[in-house]
Amino acid sequence: MSDQFGIKVEEIFDTMEERFRPEGAEGVDASYGYDIQGVGKWKLTVKDGQMKIEEANDLGDCVAVTITDADTFVGVNIGQVDAMKAFNSGKFKVDGDLGALGQTAKMFTKFVSGKKEMTVGDFIQDMFATLEERFQPKNVEGLDVTITYDIQGDGGGCWTATIKDGTCVLKEERIEKPTVRLEVGAADWVDVMLGKVDAMTLLSAGKAAIEGDSSLALKLGEIFSKYIAPGEMAEPEQELVRLKKVISVDHRFATGPVMGKFLQGLKNKKIIANKCPKCGRLQLPPREVCAICRVRVPGVVEVGPKGHITINDIAYYSSPDPLTGETRETPYGSINILLDGCKGNETFWHLLRRDQIFEVEESWNEKKGTRVRPVWAENRIGSIKDILYFEIDK
Amino acid sequence: MAKKKKNRNVAIVGVGQTQYSSHREDVNQPEMIHEAVRLALADAGITIDDVDAIVHGNMELFEMIHQPDLWHVLGTGGYGKDSFRITTGGTTGATLACAADNLVASEMYDVVMTVGFEKLQEGHTTGGITNMADPLWSRQLQTGALTGSTGYKMEKEFGEERANRAAMMYRIIMDKHACLNHNSHRSFGLDFDQMDELMENSPRLVGDLRLIHMCSQSDGCCVVIFASEKKAKKMAKPPVWVRDHITVHREETFNIFGFDENYPVPMTHRFAAEQLFARNGIDSPVDYFDVFEMYDPSGWWGADWMREFFLFENDEHLKLIEEKEIMIDGKMPINPSGGVTAANPIGATALVRVAEAALQVRGDAGGHQIPGDVNHALASGFGGTMWTVLMMLERELSW
Repeated sequence: MSDQFGIKVEEIFDTMEERFRPEGAEGVDASYGYDIQGVGKWKLTVKDGQMKIEEANDLGDCVAVTITDADTFVGVNIGQVDAMKAFNSGKFKVDGDLGALGQTAKMFTKFVSGKKEMTVGDFIQDMFATLEERFQPKNVEGLDVTITYDIQGDGGGCWTATIKDGTCVLKEERIEKPTVRLEVGAADWVDVMLGKVDAMTLLSAGKAAIEGDSSLALKLGEIFSKYIAPGEMAEPEQELVRLKKVISVDHRFATGPVMGKFLQGLKNKKIIANKCPKCGRLQLPPREVCAICRVRVPGVVEVGPKGHITINDIAYYSSPDPLTGETRETPYGSINILLDGCKGNETFWHLLRRDQIFEVEESWNEKKGTRVRPVWAENRIGSIKDILYFEIDK
Repeated sequence: MAKKKKNRNVAIVGVGQTQYSSHREDVNQPEMIHEAVRLALADAGITIDDVDAIVHGNMELFEMIHQPDLWHVLGTGGYGKDSFRITTGGTTGATLACAADNLVASEMYDVVMTVGFEKLQEGHTTGGITNMADPLWSRQLQTGALTGSTGYKMEKEFGEERANRAAMMYRIIMDKHACLNHNSHRSFGLDFDQMDELMENSPRLVGDLRLIHMCSQSDGCCVVIFASEKKAKKMAKPPVWVRDHITVHREETFNIFGFDENYPVPMTHRFAAEQLFARNGIDSPVDYFDVFEMYDPSGWWGADWMREFFLFENDEHLKLIEEKEIMIDGKMPINPSGGVTAANPIGATALVRVAEAALQVRGDAGGHQIPGDVNHALASGFGGTMWTVLMMLERELSW
C-alpha cells in the first residue's frame, strides 16, 4: 500500500463513480487502462453515459493504457505534478490512443481528498480544467476573441482561451495582444470565482487589472457558466418575476385660439392656414408665430380643399393608434398634399382612401402628383378626423 | 452661429457599455445601468467618489416612469451628487454629452458622468413615438418613426436600381461592422451576394423602407465620463478631447417633405455641419475626419444623410458606399460599431455614437478598431422632426 501526498491510489479509483459526469462522456464507448506500477491495474469502461471501474489483469482491449508510478499518478490527479512534464520526462506513459485518453479528463470532476482542504492552487487548476466545458456558445454567437488569464502568485499561471466559431480552446500559454488580458492574484481570483468578492471591487482597489477590451471582461459571466467547486451543488436558478402593467389615461387638451380656428374650420368643411407677414409662406395648420421668421402671424386664410399629392407613404407595418390601441389595417397611404393656394413645401398631411393607394402619382419638381379631394365625416366635432381621408378627384 | 471660446478643455476619460439586446429581463433598470457605470469607472480608473455630477437621460414615454433618475440612483451611484435629467428625444444621448462638456468647461464640475439608457422591452416604442406628435391634430395621423420618403427622393434622383442598391449596400456594410462588435444587439452575418434577395424579400415597412433597413428596439445603457483637462491628464487612459459641438432644431412638424428643386428644404444635418465645420476651419470634412459615428436609424437615412454631413452636392456619398469606402478599412469609415441598425437603446443611442468615436480615437475599440491612427472623429445625434447634434473629438489638443 502506497500513500503519496497523504492520498492512496485506491482513493482516486474509488471516488471515480461519484466524480463521474455523464455529460462529459456523451457518445463515448471505450475502455481505459491504468497500470500503476507497484500498486495494481484498473480498467475503466465507459458506455451509454455509464461507467464501471474495476481491478483487472488484462488491459488488452483498452484504447489507451496509462503506465506510471503511484507518486506521479496521485500527483497529477491532485494537481501537484504537472502532467505534461511527467509525460515528457517519461514518468507518465500512455500506451495507445493519447487523444482518447484526453476524453477522460472531461468525464470526471477533480479529485478532492476528503482529508484536506483545497488549496488556492487546487482551485486554480480545477477552474481552468473545467473552463472549456463551462463555455456557453449560445450566449456568444459570433464572438471571435482571445482571453488571457494572467494569474499571479502561488498556484498561478498563464492561460489563454481562444473563442471562435462557437468553440472555446484553453491553452496554458501567453500570447501577444489578446483581446483582453486579466491580471490578478491567484487567491483573489479564487475568491472571485467562488463569489466571495466582486471583480469590480478588485479592479477599483487596484488588485486586478484589465488590458484591452474591458467590456468583454464583464461578460465572462455570460461566456462561461458559474464555476462550482468540487463536491458543491449548483444553486437552483432563481425565477425572475416580471410585472405587467397597463396605463390608460384620459387626456383633455386646450387647443387655443389659433389651432382652435383650424379645428373649428374642419367642423365647417374648411381648411384653414395662416400666412407669415414677413416671408409670405403659409403654415398649415396655422401657428401663432412663423417658425422661421419668429414673428407673430395674424389672421387666417382658407386653402384647398382640393390639391395634389406630393408624397404617398404606403405603410405596410401596422402601427397602433395611440388613442384606441388598435392597429390600423394595412397597407394604408399616409399622404402629403399641396392644397390649392399652397406652394413649395406648404403641404398638408392626411390619409388616402385605402383602395386607391396604388393608383396615385407623387410629385417631383414641376411634375404634379394626382389630384385629390377630402371626404368629410357626417358628424364633425372639430378634429383632424373630420376629414375621413382624401380620395382621387376624378 | 458664432463660436464662443471654451472656458477650459474637456476630455472623455471613461466609457462603459452594456451588451445591447432585445431583452434584459435578468436585471431591472438600475441594475442594468449599474453594469455600464461600473465599466466606465473602471475604464477611467476612478471610483464614484471622484464623480462630481451625473447627467441622466432617456426617452420620456418609453418606460412611462416619472423621474426615472431618482429610482436609478441605485444604479448610477448618484447619492448626494448634483444630478440633472435630460430628455431630448432621439438626440438625448448626444445632448447628454454636450451638457457634460458644457458643465465641465464652465468649471462648475471637474468630473461629470453621463448615463444614457433605455429598456424598450418594458414599454411600447412605437406607441411612445406616436405620442410625441402634436396631440391637437397630428397624433391621429402619426405612423411611428417610419417613412419611405427618403427612398422616394433617392430613387427619383438616382434611379430606382442605384438608390435601392446603395441603401442595401450601406445596410450590409453596417451589418458587417456589427459582426465585429460583440456589444451588438443584431448582427446577421449578411453578405454582399444577398443584396438582390434582400431587396426583393425583406418585408416592406413603408414604401421601399424594408424591415432589414430599419433599426431595432434594444435594451442597454451607455455611460461616458467627462473630465477637465487637469484631471484628465492625471488619469490612466489617454484623454479624448471634445473640440466642439452644435445642436440644430427645426420646426416641430414633419411637413418638410419637399420634392421641388425650386423650393429646397434646408436640412438640419447640412446646416449643423456647415456651421460646425466653418467655425472650426474644416474645408473638406471627408478628408479631415478619420471616423464618423452616425446616428443612422435606417439604411436609407444613413446613405442619404452622408451627403448632408459631408456637405456633398452630387453623388459622392453613393460612390463612397458603392466603392465600400465607408467600411472599417476604407477611406471614410462610418460606424465601425455597426451603428444604430446594430443596436438602438434609444436614450443611449446617440451617446453610444460619442462613446464609440472616443474609443476609436483612443485605439480601444477592440474587434472593430479602425486600422491606423484615428486623430479626428465626428459623432452625430438625430431625433424628433429632424433635430441634429454633432460632436467633434480629437486625439491631440492641437486646434
